[in-house]
Amino acid sequence: MTATAVPSSASSTAARLVADLTAALGAENVLFNRDELVVYECDGYVIEKAVPDVVVFPTCTEDVVAVVKICNRHGVPFVPRGAGTSLAGGTLPVGGGVMIGLTKMKRILEINTRDRYAIVEAGVVNVWLTRSLVGTGVHFAPDPSSQTACTIGGNVATNAGGPHTLKYGVTVNHVRGLEIVTPDGEVVQVGGVVEDQPGYDLTGLIVGSEGTFGIVTKVIVNLSRDPEAGRTLLAVFDTVEDSVEAVSGIVAAGIVPAALEMIDNLMIRAVEAAFKFGFPVDAGAVLIIEVDGLDAALDHEAQAISEIVQTHRGKVEKSIGWRTREEPEYKAIWKSRKMAFGAIGRVSPTFCTQDGVVPRTALPHILRFMEGVSERQQVRIANVFHAGDGNLHPIILFDEQDPDQVRRALDASVEILDECIRLGGSVTGEHGIGVEKLAMMPKLFTPDDLAAMTAVHDALNPDGRCSPAKKLPIGGHCIERTKPGRHASA
Amino acid sequence: MNRQVQAPVWPDAPDAAPLGDDRCATRLHRPTTVDALCDAVREEVEQGGAVYPQGGRTALDYGRPPGRPGAAVDVSALDEVIDYPHADMTITVRAGMTVSTLRGILAEKNQRLLIDVPWPDRATLGGALATGVCGPRRFGLGRPRDSIIGVSFVTSNAVEVKGGGRVVKNVAGYDFPKLLTGSMGTLGVITQATLKVRPLPGASALIWLPVDDPAKLDERLAALASSALRPVAFDFLSPSAARLVGGPVGLGRDAWTLVVGIEDDANSVDWQVDRFRVEAERADFDVLRDDATAPLWTALTEFQVETPGPFACSASLRPSQVAAFLADLPAERWALQAHAGVGVVRMQALGEWGGDEAEAAIAGKRAEAVRGGGNLIVTRCPTPWKARIPVWGESRQDWALGRAVKRALDPEGVMNPGRFVGEDG
Repeated sequence: MTATAVPSSASSTAARLVADLTAALGAENVLFNRDELVVYECDGYVIEKAVPDVVVFPTCTEDVVAVVKICNRHGVPFVPRGAGTSLAGGTLPVGGGVMIGLTKMKRILEINTRDRYAIVEAGVVNVWLTRSLVGTGVHFAPDPSSQTACTIGGNVATNAGGPHTLKYGVTVNHVRGLEIVTPDGEVVQVGGVVEDQPGYDLTGLIVGSEGTFGIVTKVIVNLSRDPEAGRTLLAVFDTVEDSVEAVSGIVAAGIVPAALEMIDNLMIRAVEAAFKFGFPVDAGAVLIIEVDGLDAALDHEAQAISEIVQTHRGKVEKSIGWRTREEPEYKAIWKSRKMAFGAIGRVSPTFCTQDGVVPRTALPHILRFMEGVSERQQVRIANVFHAGDGNLHPIILFDEQDPDQVRRALDASVEILDECIRLGGSVTGEHGIGVEKLAMMPKLFTPDDLAAMTAVHDALNPDGRCSPAKKLPIGGHCIERTKPGRHASA
Repeated sequence: MNRQVQAPVWPDAPDAAPLGDDRCATRLHRPTTVDALCDAVREEVEQGGAVYPQGGRTALDYGRPPGRPGAAVDVSALDEVIDYPHADMTITVRAGMTVSTLRGILAEKNQRLLIDVPWPDRATLGGALATGVCGPRRFGLGRPRDSIIGVSFVTSNAVEVKGGGRVVKNVAGYDFPKLLTGSMGTLGVITQATLKVRPLPGASALIWLPVDDPAKLDERLAALASSALRPVAFDFLSPSAARLVGGPVGLGRDAWTLVVGIEDDANSVDWQVDRFRVEAERADFDVLRDDATAPLWTALTEFQVETPGPFACSASLRPSQVAAFLADLPAERWALQAHAGVGVVRMQALGEWGGDEAEAAIAGKRAEAVRGGGNLIVTRCPTPWKARIPVWGESRQDWALGRAVKRALDPEGVMNPGRFVGEDG
């Protein structure tokens, strides 16, 4: 599966490409030495690798237009990349070509609290926007665990979620409009600062399209009112099963928490070792349950949740009442949750994280199923996930130096995702299909479904040069499709 | 466009199914299965006809006139629940189910739909999604695009295609649910949808506050935007709109009126009503509570389909632009409802209007909306006016991408031709 790129110095074609890009962007914004390029051979998904021929760092939309036009002229593929936190190979430069790194497009262009929007460049890191909004009474709701690194352009590409999507929705629910550079190099404004625009909901179509419709250069995001107050509960359970039954109980009782996260024992121990937050290391599982809104309603809701926790043999160990999300105790608990992926490094040299989704009521079943997978495949699986959404993040631990472990880890992933599909769920809730899950698409969608998606893809990205081999299993095998274009200008 | 030989012609049979704008369908299909619906589409396509999807026929005159002769495909017989795992707070239903039937099914489990739809006894879910309809609670509950997580539709290839799924988070494949929502039936016939639903609120209140000085409107709207309250709706009504909306429930009088909608648990609703009294620094307002709010919610939702005059528009604005936009519209010529929190202004023209006069008024307000980054569409007008008034508003740069998407999914232009944006270039 791994695509290999031709070394950049191997052809005069590549040299001409570098020369054109350097002329357009300046030498300081173009990387083409092999040792510099290796950094970009993969993102957060480490199983497949491909080195780009060139990496460019545009500083404005016009730069992106210039790069895209040069790529078209040379017939090479191009792929956008933000912080490279994709967990599905969304930024893998399949077939080589030009990687468009958007990290130098990092300006917050406008914040309008009255009309509740902000306009940011694609390379703005999610948490920068959060920080600039502290004290204004509004916030940008999507808060993926990688928010201290991931860019808003990347959030748009994957339709990213995070712990607070349960109540507030995912990225697409918070994007009003986009500026994109189309695959043929035209700048198009899609949607706008005003929500209702006549015409198709192209913003809705492009968010989550994993860069296959063009390069997003600006994002108009919606800003939400801050809640007046919140309660964040830490509930402790002896078993994972009890914890997820409590999740189902809370949702079934008609309570819509702002967040509802589960951490299992393996993860608790890793997180404790890293952060010493005070999680009970002998617990089978903990739930972080958050309700927010008007203070007047919260005690009643928190009480109802406590009762459900007790019914399922759990105990509320901590209850934090807060007025802003800046309070230290509040930040500590969420830091522990969001840094969990980092903490896993203490337990295993390599891991891959899956992103399956099941109906919330099927959580007890899928957790039992994963225990079986762990035994069958002899791999350890840790769990830290968005329980309230039914969005699993089983972390499969393996050593990438051991081919047999790699195979078993991949087999375990497929088994889990197949079961998610069988339960009426999905193979990805927020990470994207990327290159990782292309083979799962025909299991989720019929040939007619995929043909319709491919038709839309081909209409907006006719040469397939923009983000090739992502999102859709086009043309039998993804990588094949990009090869002809790569040598077209020779 | 390639038309096959002997293309159908417009029938004038008065008893044929209406398509809107005084056109009639060549025939009416009312399939009871998706397979039959696919057969109907295939048959029409083979004969060179167009396909006009229909549900409760509550929005037949919405948009530009039907573009060429074709059949009506009525989905109202496709009305079953496919799956309602209520503990998951999602429901999957066929598109022909009426909104009120759907609401009834959800209410049995103490849940609700998050979309306000006019004429729910007739309107179908498919129609509501295809038109992207919304009402006052959109401020708190979001748009239809925010509720939908899965969709199935029959394309002009006569196959049922799906996008999305049945779980609340899902980024596999392109987001056809959002693309189809508001697409006016031009990409396919919506056959099924999966929606996020929510618990019914424990309590609700509607505050009805006549405002004597409309000049202070912007101040009030800004104050509400940063108020301690968390309303699900705040509407502003012109005097004639207040009479139309409030009259039937005994509230209307000829005054600019602020309506604040609150839904939450009982403690929170009580607290917010008290708090409103403090923030507004007055107490001379009416409050409807709980069951008594229902008729007023309905009236607020159905103002958009009232017909007090010859035409109606809907402007999309920045919320900060709303007060100024309303200020220079003569109150005797317009009944106006602003969903002020989201910047949508519903405009009902009153009395007699000539075409030229209407065209000029619409163009002026459209330009004003466009200057702030919004737009203005004409939601209802005499059919002859549609030849010269851009009912879908100022053309947009992204319509070119929209046309490419349309060609991809409906290359022959079979689905609801003529009616939506951008087809006139």
